[in-house]
Amino acid sequence: MRRKLNLTRVDRMGYVVGGIALIAWALRRPSWLRGSAAGVGGWLLYQAYTGSNPLFRPLGIRVNPRPAEPDAHETIVVEDAITISRPRAEVFAFWQGAGNLPRLLEADAELVRERPCVELAWRGVHAGKLAHFGSLEFRDAPGARGTIVAARLEYVPTGGSLGIALARMTGRAPQRLLAESLRRARALLETGETPSTRGQPAGPR
Amino acid sequence: MKALCWHARLDVRVERVPDPVLINPRDAIVRVSATAICGSDLHLYGGFVPGMLKGDILGHEFMGEVVEVGSSIKNLRPGDRVVVPFPIACGDCFFCRRELYSLCENSNPNAWMAEKVWGYSPSGVYGYSHLLGGYAGGQAEYARVPYADVGPLKVPDGLTDEQVLFLSDILPTGYMAAENCAIQPGDTVAVWGCGPVGLCAIACAQLLGAERVIAIDRFPERLRLAALKLGAEPIDYSEDSVLDALRELTGGRGPDACIDAVGMEGHAHHSIAHAYDRVKQAVMLESDRPTALREAILACRSGGTVSMPGVYGGMIDKFPVGAMMNRSLTLRTGQTHVQRYMRPLLERIEKGELDPSFVISHRMSLEDAPAAYRLFRDKQDGCVKVVLRP
Repeated sequence: MRRKLNLTRVDRMGYVVGGIALIAWALRRPSWLRGSAAGVGGWLLYQAYTGSNPLFRPLGIRVNPRPAEPDAHETIVVEDAITISRPRAEVFAFWQGAGNLPRLLEADAELVRERPCVELAWRGVHAGKLAHFGSLEFRDAPGARGTIVAARLEYVPTGGSLGIALARMTGRAPQRLLAESLRRARALLETGETPSTRGQPAGPR
Repeated sequence: MKALCWHARLDVRVERVPDPVLINPRDAIVRVSATAICGSDLHLYGGFVPGMLKGDILGHEFMGEVVEVGSSIKNLRPGDRVVVPFPIACGDCFFCRRELYSLCENSNPNAWMAEKVWGYSPSGVYGYSHLLGGYAGGQAEYARVPYADVGPLKVPDGLTDEQVLFLSDILPTGYMAAENCAIQPGDTVAVWGCGPVGLCAIACAQLLGAERVIAIDRFPERLRLAALKLGAEPIDYSEDSVLDALRELTGGRGPDACIDAVGMEGHAHHSIAHAYDRVKQAVMLESDRPTALREAILACRSGGTVSMPGVYGGMIDKFPVGAMMNRSLTLRTGQTHVQRYMRPLLERIEKGELDPSFVISHRMSLEDAPAAYRLFRDKQDGCVKVVLRP
């Protein structure tokens, strides 16, 4: 089986430095413990060489080493889809204005491609730099069940896989933000409001 | 206003909290006239459901008078008397359009939490953990009701609160449990658990044409209600082996349908299996104790149906999947799609075909809710169902 590249450049450099450090530490005064550390170091070097970490797949982290946008060296890919019980034209119109496009953090969305009722693509720019880019594809759900919206978001990771892990722990993971953005859109389109409990009473927390 | 708040496991308190306000255009505010404690509230009380926060207002069985409506609400006006169904449902989504209201895709603002545990999220529910939306519940003086143009059912003045309150949950739940049995003429239905839902299921199974209904419990007052009030044949599982008794009562074939109206806190009398499940649940190797479900599967006639209104939350083990597969059993379950059943059941109540108020054993004030929870949990003083008045 061919391994899929899924480490970022930052990751690979970090793995090389870490792997060499662990092996050097083990060679200074060999012991069982240091020997196993050397084993881990060797494994890190091997991963840096192959560019693939086998743990990323079960963790759901997907790296695209050759993104379509020339400004980005590599990106993390996030995908999701939702079915909305409304006609395609209406669903498309909701996102058309760019104001509702799924965005990560504070980035401004710039529309780069628009095929009516089929596709929208945009770039998210933050402080003059490309932060992410994404696309929405619209198609009819089978059996007149409304519209399927397939979303794909690629973002430029900061801090390699460590940064991704941190974002996940704080609940700001792009996967979650994308899912919430799609869910909010469905609620607005189908019910005219978004479900909320903000402002409801509770006892002392 | 006063409201019953969850504090910690086995600790609920009546607190002063702010009055609810309209949050969305389709909301209404209801002044609660009567509310009940549900068996599933005991799962929250006992700390078996994740996602509870200190200060959460409990209660999903309530009714009252509309006092305020949001700008989009045309079907209700202040002064209307309504019963509120426990699932919060938008009425517009894929599931609501198919009358699967408890699976509403739009009503749970914390859908991601439920997805982590269950794969996909069901609807929001009042006062039933942040997994199901974290909505403030109805064991309070006032409650906010989202999608008020879909859920609340107007009830005529001629019927008392006690006659219609249970349209909010247990009567439709008993009805759906019986409906899921696909009862044919001549069928025998066995019901595990003669709590309020079990008793409603017995009444509804009879209404849907069951020839015989067998009621299984160990509390004399509950078996008495099942036998004397409804004419079911009682089995006291603390005295008899349920499997043997059912085999005998059904001519060696088993009941055509079995209803598990017990759920995740099942109890087996003096048995090693019970100790096993208690220990596993305590150390979180299993989240639910499926005593009744296991027995219902083993007892059911080959090719029969096991209907499961009892609430489960997570994982179980020692599930008799071999019996299920080799004997062609059907398992049907789900949180009740209350909105689907409210109107037809109200008609039956009006015609006098059903009167679920017989399950009420205690009438107390909202102030006494903490004591009521204890009483209901420990099944003391013949407690079957508590109705609270704010």
